Amino acid sequence: MSATEAAPRIETPTIGIGKVGPVWMVLPALVLLIGFFALPYLTIITMSLREASTRAVYGEGFTLAHYTTALGDFYIWGILGRTLLMGAIVTIVTLLLGYPVAYHLANSRSRWTSLLYIFVLSPLLVGLVVRTFAWMIILSNNGVANKALMALGLINFPLQLMNNPVGVTIALTHVFLPFVILPLLGNLQAISPDLAMASRSLGASRMRTFLKVTLPLSLPGIQAGTILVFVLSISAYVTPAMLGGTGGRTMSVLVVQYLVDNFRWPAGAALAIIMAAVAVIFVGLYLKLTARAMRRLP
Amino acid sequence: MTALTIDRINKRYGNLHILKDISVSIAQGEFVSLLGPSGCGKTTTLRCIAGFERPDSGRILFGERDVTRALPEHRDIGMVFQSYALFPHMTVAENLSFGLEVRKVVPAERKRRITEVLSMVRLQGYEARFPRELSGGQQQRVALARALVIEPSVLLLDEPLANLDATLRDEMRFFIRDLQQRVGITSIYVTHDQSEAIVMSDKIVVMNSGVISQFGTPRDIYERPASQTVAGFIGRSNTIVGKVSEALGPDSYKIETLCGTIGTHGPGGLVNGTDVRVMIRPENIRTRRHGEAANTSTSDENVLGGSVVSATYQGNGTQLKVRLASGDEMVVDVSGRNPMAVGEEVALRFAPRDAWLLAS
Repeated sequence: MSATEAAPRIETPTIGIGKVGPVWMVLPALVLLIGFFALPYLTIITMSLREASTRAVYGEGFTLAHYTTALGDFYIWGILGRTLLMGAIVTIVTLLLGYPVAYHLANSRSRWTSLLYIFVLSPLLVGLVVRTFAWMIILSNNGVANKALMALGLINFPLQLMNNPVGVTIALTHVFLPFVILPLLGNLQAISPDLAMASRSLGASRMRTFLKVTLPLSLPGIQAGTILVFVLSISAYVTPAMLGGTGGRTMSVLVVQYLVDNFRWPAGAALAIIMAAVAVIFVGLYLKLTARAMRRLP
Repeated sequence: MTALTIDRINKRYGNLHILKDISVSIAQGEFVSLLGPSGCGKTTTLRCIAGFERPDSGRILFGERDVTRALPEHRDIGMVFQSYALFPHMTVAENLSFGLEVRKVVPAERKRRITEVLSMVRLQGYEARFPRELSGGQQQRVALARALVIEPSVLLLDEPLANLDATLRDEMRFFIRDLQQRVGITSIYVTHDQSEAIVMSDKIVVMNSGVISQFGTPRDIYERPASQTVAGFIGRSNTIVGKVSEALGPDSYKIETLCGTIGTHGPGGLVNGTDVRVMIRPENIRTRRHGEAANTSTSDENVLGGSVVSATYQGNGTQLKVRLASGDEMVVDVSGRNPMAVGEEVALRFAPRDAWLLAS
């Protein structure tokens, strides 16, 4: 003991932020969130409540007129409905396409798996505009898809694949596929393979094992992935603007048209807020619905 | 009656030969452990029996039925995992009900069997709990109940106690063994814990690098190991090299060693001049101080002289290391208070029946 006491005491280094450390560390993100999220939202909300003006971005007084006009306009309801429907279709299709891929990636031990990863992430590696141009080349009336179908004799006239919701849906599905695969993959990888083996040992077939064990346990991944894709799809701008034409116009395209083309800033802001509110309501309902299905999960 | 036959199965992964001609035959109601270090092939063997791996060659029979190509769900097995593998989104009752529903057992009968099996594992009243609300030991008992409630023809256990703490593990050994005997189910138990295998099993399959080193009762394996590997893996052992100098009977020999002639027993048929190792378990060696009267010594007892190199107090006794004249070090367990000091001269005594020959 005396030997250790005689030795010089070494101070354990401590991080000099004391008890406020954790709070302090939140600050940068908080500043970012307030500066780039809360403030712009407040600005937009304020703008949506201002009177229209021909001389400035908006006038002096406050009014609810932009909301009442928008909500009384069947054309806007139609575009809102189309936006949500396209979002729902993209979400469902990406889930149906992405689940098997995520399932395979989670269970495969092949060395080709890393190649598949690259395929999965590939839509994110190319710029949005370039990728959308590529889809225009494929989907236009004398594009690759139509030429191939006509050469095969499957159709006599080119199909209308662009300037309508079909083209937008196809392109959005492609872009957002990774956003459903990645959360699902993380979820599926966290499920112990012992569970499926236990199920099989108890006499359940592969299909029954999937339906009764794997699928219920992957609901959190499904929930996260579908919300991501839905929110991203309904707020997408570049793809519907380039591929949608008038037939495939979505809310975000309409909002930009109000702001940039028509210079109706307060009305456009009101549309943006309506869209955001609708998205929040839908996601909230969806969360409530899926939470019921997941209430037994740990 | 033979419940399970493994007939010369082989399994390779690429260049790795995981199982090499494994053959075991297990009688109805027997508890057999597959024992060996990690990577020896014991888990692969179990997975072949369960149907999660398919052997490259060879056959697996349940009774008379060839199940080599059958899917796991068609084999009628119960399986218990190291991770428990309880379905986390189901209650205890639903976990137990899972296999019964697959078998289309009617609800009333399901309920009866679940109640019965829960009382067997002493978890009455836990039906509505989720696995996450149970302790590790309780979860493992539910896993055991889930495997047993379907009344499978074979129960497979893959290191089921490895995740439990030491005290609980000791308790569960007896619990599982007792339950297995009451139910009378043929069981295969994979473990790397030799004391677990010895305490629980009717027979033990000792495996090493894909081959069976020995298949026998715990007593066979502990007292008459087939090789140095087995002797080294099961319990502690001392070995002295020597040569057979005389066969005294069908299984008893005189061995010439650097410390003199030792009387031993060993496998039959060893001819004079064969190189062998004499194995003596530490607990079978008694010690006597140098020069002390040999009053209890019997005429055929072996006596080796040496000096104490180290003495380690172990609570229930003391472990001595003794260096012999030949330079070999022997580990000896001494019970009670230890009067021996390091450097002291001692005589080590052991009976020929406690010395066993291993092929060198």
